[in-house]
Amino acid sequence: MSLPGEIKRRITMLFHRDQLGRELEEEMNVHLELLRQQKIDRGLAPTAATRAAHLKFGNTARIKEKSLMAWGSETLESIFSDISYGIRALLRSRGLTIVALLSLALGIGANTAIFSLLDAVLLRSLPVNNPQQLVLLGTGDASGIGNNFVSTELYSYPFYRQLREKNTVFSDVAAIFSMTDNVHGFVLNSTGDTNSASELMHVKLVSGSYFPMLGVRAQLGRTLTEADDTTEGDHPVVVLSNGFWKRAMASDPDVLNRKIKLGDTIYTIIGVSPTEFFGTTVGESPDMWVPLSMVKFVPPGYDAYSKNFVQSLNVIGRLKPGVSLAQATTEVNLLLQQITRGFSDVDLSQKNLKELSKTHVPLTPIANGLSSIRRQFSEPLQILMAVVALVLLIACANIANLLLARSTVRARELAVRQALGARPSRLIRQLLTESLTLALVGGFLGVGFALIASRFLLRMVSGGSEILPLDISLNLHLLGFTLAVTVATAILFGTIPAFRATSLHLTDSLKEGRGPSSAGARNPLAKGLVISQVALSLVLTVGAGLFLRSLSNLNRVDPGFNRKNVLRLQIETDALGYKEDDPRLNALFQQIESRVNELPGVKAASFSAFTFHEGSWSGAMLVPGMPNNEDITVHQNVVGNGYFKTMQIPLIAGRTFSTADTATSQHVAVISERTAKMLFPAGNPIGRHFRVGRNEPEREYEVIGIVKDVKFDSLQEEPAYINYLSYAQRPWDFGDFEVRYTGPFSNISSSVQQAIKSINPNVRITHVTTLDEQLSRSMTNQRLVAQLSAFFGALAVFLSSIGIYGLMSYVVSRRTNEIGIRMALGAARSDVSWLVAREILSLVAIGVGIGIPAALVGNHLVANMLYGLKSTDPLSLVAAAVLLLSVASIAGYFPARRASRVDPMQALRYE
Amino acid sequence: MSRDEIPPGTLYLLILKTLALRKRLHGYEIAEAIEQRSEDILQVEEGSLYPALQRMLIKGWVVAEWGITAGNRRARYYTLTADGKKQLSVELSKFQRIMGAVSKVIQTA
Repeated sequence: MSLPGEIKRRITMLFHRDQLGRELEEEMNVHLELLRQQKIDRGLAPTAATRAAHLKFGNTARIKEKSLMAWGSETLESIFSDISYGIRALLRSRGLTIVALLSLALGIGANTAIFSLLDAVLLRSLPVNNPQQLVLLGTGDASGIGNNFVSTELYSYPFYRQLREKNTVFSDVAAIFSMTDNVHGFVLNSTGDTNSASELMHVKLVSGSYFPMLGVRAQLGRTLTEADDTTEGDHPVVVLSNGFWKRAMASDPDVLNRKIKLGDTIYTIIGVSPTEFFGTTVGESPDMWVPLSMVKFVPPGYDAYSKNFVQSLNVIGRLKPGVSLAQATTEVNLLLQQITRGFSDVDLSQKNLKELSKTHVPLTPIANGLSSIRRQFSEPLQILMAVVALVLLIACANIANLLLARSTVRARELAVRQALGARPSRLIRQLLTESLTLALVGGFLGVGFALIASRFLLRMVSGGSEILPLDISLNLHLLGFTLAVTVATAILFGTIPAFRATSLHLTDSLKEGRGPSSAGARNPLAKGLVISQVALSLVLTVGAGLFLRSLSNLNRVDPGFNRKNVLRLQIETDALGYKEDDPRLNALFQQIESRVNELPGVKAASFSAFTFHEGSWSGAMLVPGMPNNEDITVHQNVVGNGYFKTMQIPLIAGRTFSTADTATSQHVAVISERTAKMLFPAGNPIGRHFRVGRNEPEREYEVIGIVKDVKFDSLQEEPAYINYLSYAQRPWDFGDFEVRYTGPFSNISSSVQQAIKSINPNVRITHVTTLDEQLSRSMTNQRLVAQLSAFFGALAVFLSSIGIYGLMSYVVSRRTNEIGIRMALGAARSDVSWLVAREILSLVAIGVGIGIPAALVGNHLVANMLYGLKSTDPLSLVAAAVLLLSVASIAGYFPARRASRVDPMQALRYE
Repeated sequence: MSRDEIPPGTLYLLILKTLALRKRLHGYEIAEAIEQRSEDILQVEEGSLYPALQRMLIKGWVVAEWGITAGNRRARYYTLTADGKKQLSVELSKFQRIMGAVSKVIQTA
């Protein structure tokens, strides 16, 4: 038996299928004719002989099909014919197809769009070698710089060095500066001049081992190596990201001969990283990487390279093959103890030893990267993913219902085909192919929709500030997801109607009349679908109601300051080259404050280290005689004299800062009400003394005033403990500048900026906005979830109402006969309408009845995202139920009216 | 007169053997020949015959060509190939092995 011959024959057959079919038919006809002849020879009459021959031979069509099936190409062949048949069938009922495609496109598109974000933020692996081997010391929870005795999140550079040397569990270890330095640097031209304006560059400092350890190779030139990270300060080299190379240097092929100036140092460009590499932090995309050996020279110039107890680095390791996470954790913790104790300048006080012995470093696998945004967005994205999945389910129920109704219309067609010998499995396959065709077209449209929607989503997620650098473009991962969703929907909405359609009683369906009995038999399923749609819609609308009410609750929260009519901008003074404690800096700030104060329309103006939702500088307030006060986190805010007036934070007792408080006078502080109660429980706090934090100079502050509590980081939080210091006494390299104004924003905005520029043109002004805007930005998540869930809730209700309308129209058309008889017997039109309306209302009532407990259970899961109400909020429940009932009534009104307009004579004649 | 259906698995054998004896037959003749030689005990289902012939064509055991019947009609004639002859002996020995086994079981009973 030669296999190649067989394959050849099979392939030839593919192209000659029609001929083969014809030949088979002819062959069988001859056979039949000969059989008939034989019967006649045996004495039968010609007609009887024909009958006998046919009886003996059997169903020719079926034999032909079976014979051709032997060639195996039948499947392929019939799929094509199924598809073309399906498309024709879909085109025949255009209304249904459009509704189905639209709901599919929206459902699949929404799923794809949300998934693309979810994928980018939560799921996708880093584009590096074997990302699953990468682990992070700590949980990736912190960034910044601190000088603690020991820390489980951030590490010092000397610690990284020793860990890299001493460990036996990692094939390599790398360190990443936990913050991204945003530097206004210059791209030098080929002659080394700065002929262009400065531009903002996001600079990431990494150890020399970073690129080799990740296995990332440069697309041009080379990446950083160990040799670039040996001695401090003399390796001015930089690796550019593909994005920066393209954007700022127009993909100059001669880039390796050009230089970049950051601060006072000129850096040689040694390479360009690969296109897909964005570093190791999802939601960031550095413009360039500089070796950590240069950390002191990249503005703002942290001194973190040689200090044993200055922690600023994330440390990642690549597990050796065969080493478990537990083994690595044990060794890292052992080394942490050893290395910390072994530092030459270690302070082994009782307290430090106790702290060290309690310290345990967890290791976190980071195959999908570090991320600051993951924590923020994982919950909302998961909620939205669930919401859109439910919407898709509703859409599926809808389409199933429409197909079900149609399959009844097609019952005769299907019955005829079965009678002619089509196997039920064949018909089911054909109906499923139709569903799949529908779903694939819907999925295709959905991908198009998702491409637009995901960009829109990303903008919403970014919350009005710079768009987050997330890659949400189409990729195989995403298309695979969409395809899986599409096929799943086709199976979901296609299977029930297909099995329904083929389990017919042939004779019933072939009969001309359509008795009420057959309609009754099919209704429970359709009704079940509508009920589940209503129930799911209720869950979604209740959820949307909860989120919307949370958002409005948040909007009504009193932050403790007056959010209206405050201009807010950030100024950067690094171009001036002053150190933080340069007295000229303070003079400049005071000058700006007083100049702006004099502008028309300005009521008050002040600098501050923070306003709202901007991070914090936290440090304990050490009050003599207060035990455990080190454990209370107090946000320290450094402000100008006019801050409380600008923010309209009321003074409760004492006074606020004045010009009398200078660098040389007694250091003073204003504390918030809550801080006063907590740290000075007895007596009047005013006049009492305290010190700030561990890392501050040994300096006594005197409490001079108490102000009302304000929210500091988010509207949801309890008012924070806040301690205000004056920048005249505690120098600060400011960012925030606030101006309380009257009149139009644009006028004030330009006059304030002009005033600042007139004082010093080198001061850079960025992030001009309002306080109100900044507050609403802190609610990005809540707004995102509320708006999208409201949108999808509305979509769900809309889809359900289509489902109800479709079902009731169908029911009315099936019951035309019955309605005619009722009316002929004297039923009033209103009775008939009520007959239909009652059915709709009972369906919706059952749906709501099932939906309420489902909503209570489902929405319990999102309790975290709610503010100011519980997940069992009765108002949201009632509102959703009323909404659904009224929408359902509208959807049912038209079929009910049609029922009442039935002309009894016509209805009866119709039978 | 009761006629028995062909036991499963033996249809190939019967067709192959029939073609080996009579060289060149069309479908009706194959069915007739089997029925006659079995003295009308075996009944060939056309519903099985044609799919089986198609499968044998695919396997390359038989080839088909169009010819004219005695009654002057166009019909498709099947002939055994070399592969078909080999297959006949395979099927024969398989059948004899099974029959031998079956009769042993029956005799000892």
